[in-house]
Amino acid sequence: MEQFFQQLTNGLAVGGIYALIALGYTMVYGVLKLINFAHGDLFTYGGYLGLTLLTSFLLQDRMGVMAGIGILTVMVMGLVGVMGVVLERAAYRPLREAPRLSAVVSALGASIFLQNALMLIYGAQFQTYPEGLLPQTAVSLGGIQIPLIRILVVLASIVMMAALYLFVQKTKIGTAVRAAAIDQGAARLMGIDVNKVVSLVFLIGPALGGSAGLLVGLYYGRVDFTMGWVYGMKAFTAAILGGIGNIPGAMVGGLLLGVIEALGAAYLSIAWKDAFAFCVLILILIVRPTGLLGERVAEKV
Amino acid sequence: MKKMMGLALALGLSATGTARAADTIKIGLMAPMTGSWASEGQEMKKNVELLAQEQNAKGGVNGKKIEVIVEDDGGDPRTASLAAQRLSTKGIAAVIGTYGSAVTEATQNIYNENEIVQVANGSTAVRLTEKGLKYFFRTCPRDDEQGKVGANTVAKIGAKRIALLHDSSAYSKGLADEINGILKAKHANVVFFDALTPKEQDYSAILTKLKAASPDVVFFTGYYPEAGLLLKQKKQMGWNVPFIGGDAINNPDLVKIAGKEAAAGFEFLSPPVPADLDTPEAKAYLAAYKKAYGGAPASIYGVLAGDGFRVVVKAIQETKSTKAADIRNYLVNNLKDFPGYTGKISFNQKGDRVGELYRVYKVDKAGNFVMQK
Repeated sequence: MEQFFQQLTNGLAVGGIYALIALGYTMVYGVLKLINFAHGDLFTYGGYLGLTLLTSFLLQDRMGVMAGIGILTVMVMGLVGVMGVVLERAAYRPLREAPRLSAVVSALGASIFLQNALMLIYGAQFQTYPEGLLPQTAVSLGGIQIPLIRILVVLASIVMMAALYLFVQKTKIGTAVRAAAIDQGAARLMGIDVNKVVSLVFLIGPALGGSAGLLVGLYYGRVDFTMGWVYGMKAFTAAILGGIGNIPGAMVGGLLLGVIEALGAAYLSIAWKDAFAFCVLILILIVRPTGLLGERVAEKV
Repeated sequence: MKKMMGLALALGLSATGTARAADTIKIGLMAPMTGSWASEGQEMKKNVELLAQEQNAKGGVNGKKIEVIVEDDGGDPRTASLAAQRLSTKGIAAVIGTYGSAVTEATQNIYNENEIVQVANGSTAVRLTEKGLKYFFRTCPRDDEQGKVGANTVAKIGAKRIALLHDSSAYSKGLADEINGILKAKHANVVFFDALTPKEQDYSAILTKLKAASPDVVFFTGYYPEAGLLLKQKKQMGWNVPFIGGDAINNPDLVKIAGKEAAAGFEFLSPPVPADLDTPEAKAYLAAYKKAYGGAPASIYGVLAGDGFRVVVKAIQETKSTKAADIRNYLVNNLKDFPGYTGKISFNQKGDRVGELYRVYKVDKAGNFVMQK
């Protein structure tokens, strides 16, 4: 039983990161019906930018750890968000009216470009965050050990997801995003600037993905330029699992996927950990193609 | 007519091509210059290029300069087979490399069919030399030898319950199987035997499962990027169990990933690094390396690549030939106790290095690798 709960917390921590990345996939898909394959690489940029900012400005020495990391998070989210906006302008907007396949190819191209640019700038070796940035203590809770950092990771991801949910559901701009997701033409008729909405989506999604990259860097301490691929695939799976296009679905899907992996590793075989994630994906696609929470598909007549 | 001219042009080009090739002796280096083992590849390149420069400064080999041609194998079998095919067409006399066993395995037949001597430097999987390939050699020892030393180390600690963890790669699985076999024959209690997925970042699920098996010691036979994360996350969990590693751990990046505190006390098996050897050749080389790159060689595999380069040059020098058959014949029958930087080098008929090489290393509090007596 103790192992079960320990694995549950392990899974939730990884799942929190999957969920943060999955939000980017799901938002872009919701509005543009496009899978942004470069999203995983924007996540990687979050990890690398965090490291560069941290070491070049010595944030952790100049101010307390927590304040330093707070500022770092804001900077990384801002920068990766801007990258997302630029990416949309350069790679997707010119193809908005083109057949959907063109945009998919463009997304793959952007992914390869971003990954190679990162390799050329930083070199092919993995990079490591400075040692001892966050306290390495663990909280003992009835026999299960939860590292303090992990609680932080889960809390940070939940806070960001909740903020996003409230933003989309409760604000005027959020309503515009939802309207554009249902029908762009009708939204335009109602006076919504769809291009601005798309830019906003490409600001928020990558910013959240970038923050996930930073969390990975801070937590695991090691980033490499190819890591966006595996995380991207998992997050994409999580988005489909929850119902792509659906924001709470991405959160549920991410957390669930992390837990499935951890429990699968614990009770079946650890060597097959990745296979469970994709088995679940196939199962979902067969049994419930719209995902667990389903996507709100507008009926177009 | 056009065809004829094209043919003439092609003939002319190939003639000048071979004429130029005759000026130098080309030696290939296949190394992971990119990918997760990139730091090993960079080290291999540094060593081989330094040695080639030294040799050229002495007048080269048989009056010809040596030219090193580097191909990146990306630490990946598919990229490696392409690299091997490219190298095979470049008129090389021999090839040094590469690091990972699975990567080497993907290229062995290509070189063998093209009759090019290959001297691997980090590929320790047993089956690589059991295939009876004529032109394959390696300067690193084999995993069955490492398995014996590993099993002894576990016995020395006095561990009753032993966990074995590998990463499913040719090297890692092979070594884990070797150790498992020896321990089973001794009726030791192996409580855990499973694989992790390399290149992931979260190993807490695996560590939790390991912990539930309550081993006295965990032997991880994989590579340093994963080992570093395992040590770090084990510390974060607040779990204190001794970890032991195989020779793929021997890279200073391990400490960078794990952090000094988490890495302290970790033990692993490895051939000795040059800094721990007291032969005059090794000392002279250390000085030369320091002069060129401003520090000691970080990894043993770069040095083993250098030793591979030196035995090939020696063979070409002695036989006055760059034919694979002559080089092989010399390495197997005539090379005895060659003073390598990693110890004395001789090869058996299979192409394996003869002699005991493994030592036990321990990471100290400052993050240095200290050889245990």
